[in-house]
Amino acid sequence: MAISVCAFLLDGLLILRGARNRLFSLFPLFYSYLIFAFCGSTGMYVIYWLFPHVYPSAYWIYFLVTILAEFMVLVEISDQIFRPLPAIRNLGRALTIFISAALGLVYVLPVVLWSPGRRPALFGFALRASVTKAIILAVLFYVARHYGSQLGRNVGGLMLGFSIYVALHLASMAGAKAFSSVLFASIFWLMLPLAFALCALVWTISLWELAPMPSMNTISTAPGRDSDAVALELTRFNSELSKLLHR
Amino acid sequence: MIMLIYAAIAIAFLILVLGLFRKTLSLEPDECVTDNYSPPSTANGRWLHLSERIFDPTDARWLAEELGFPKLANALIIDRKRLAIRWLQALQAAFDDLVRTPESSPSEVPGAGSAGSWQMLWLTFRFKISISYALLVVKLFGPYYRLIPSFSWVPMSRRSERSFRRPALANSRSSH
Repeated sequence: MAISVCAFLLDGLLILRGARNRLFSLFPLFYSYLIFAFCGSTGMYVIYWLFPHVYPSAYWIYFLVTILAEFMVLVEISDQIFRPLPAIRNLGRALTIFISAALGLVYVLPVVLWSPGRRPALFGFALRASVTKAIILAVLFYVARHYGSQLGRNVGGLMLGFSIYVALHLASMAGAKAFSSVLFASIFWLMLPLAFALCALVWTISLWELAPMPSMNTISTAPGRDSDAVALELTRFNSELSKLLHR
Repeated sequence: MIMLIYAAIAIAFLILVLGLFRKTLSLEPDECVTDNYSPPSTANGRWLHLSERIFDPTDARWLAEELGFPKLANALIIDRKRLAIRWLQALQAAFDDLVRTPESSPSEVPGAGSAGSWQMLWLTFRFKISISYALLVVKLFGPYYRLIPSFSWVPMSRRSERSFRRPALANSRSSH
């Protein structure tokens, strides 16, 4: 309970700090997720104290919606990583959508459709969604490194916090699936709030102040250009190559 | 057993992420631009003219058929193949340099998801596929084969090229 309250307070602090530093417009999806998590947690506390008999079913609904809402953070991260590079600005989003859709169809959906009961379906869904998020994060890290996209403190912290959360969530869900619910119940109720609290702590530290993205000129040998010039150059490269290939 | 597998995945993922995160934050300029070729510009006419010479089979044919030096023609083809591979790799390096070019005015950066950004991503993707295929063909069959498929059947590619050329034309007309 104490860990849950800590996570809840950190979430609120992040929102307040974001409003004060005007970060909402820079990280719209991320702050939408934080506001959703804050309102959801508030609602869950209200239900817990006022309608305890409804709490278990409300908790699992909120749990499922949260798993889906967490993809907003992934989309935000993927948007931010390549933001300074006009030629591949949408690469992160494209990768996130493609991997989510592909794994959703071939890896996540079957466990939902063909599980023997509601509980295995729920834990299977949560586990496989976590694996999907972990794969997306790893791919984004790799591609960002390949293109020399330097992560600033804000985006780097966003990724690191979410990676810690996903790793702990993955381990928790694997435990929940492997052990019986009775055996795992005490750890499960501790691990999920702990994962979110750690994640919120990293986010609070990294997003406390707005840090500008590191200069990309240290990586690229070319000087900065506006996106129209880059678009023209891309077209020129393609037409030169096409000319050569169809000669 | 399944628990162990997933726990191993979680730990491996965290190690991978922390490792990549550390490297990404402390990235040195030399680490990411590792090409051995100085990236040329597509605006460089001499460099483009060089490609016409490299991929032109006329002189190899002339050596083999008219002068009757098939061995010399073969040596020329092998040399041209090496040059063609270097030329394509240099083109790829130049393109990668363009892709790594940052926005000059970050304050006016449009949000991800705009139509222009998707079109640019498509052009990047298309170039990467074409050049990889061209390299493969040249490495396997040599520089004198015409085996590359056209992308003209993809509606988005035609639209994106037209949309990028139109403002450029308008700009060039207005500047005269």
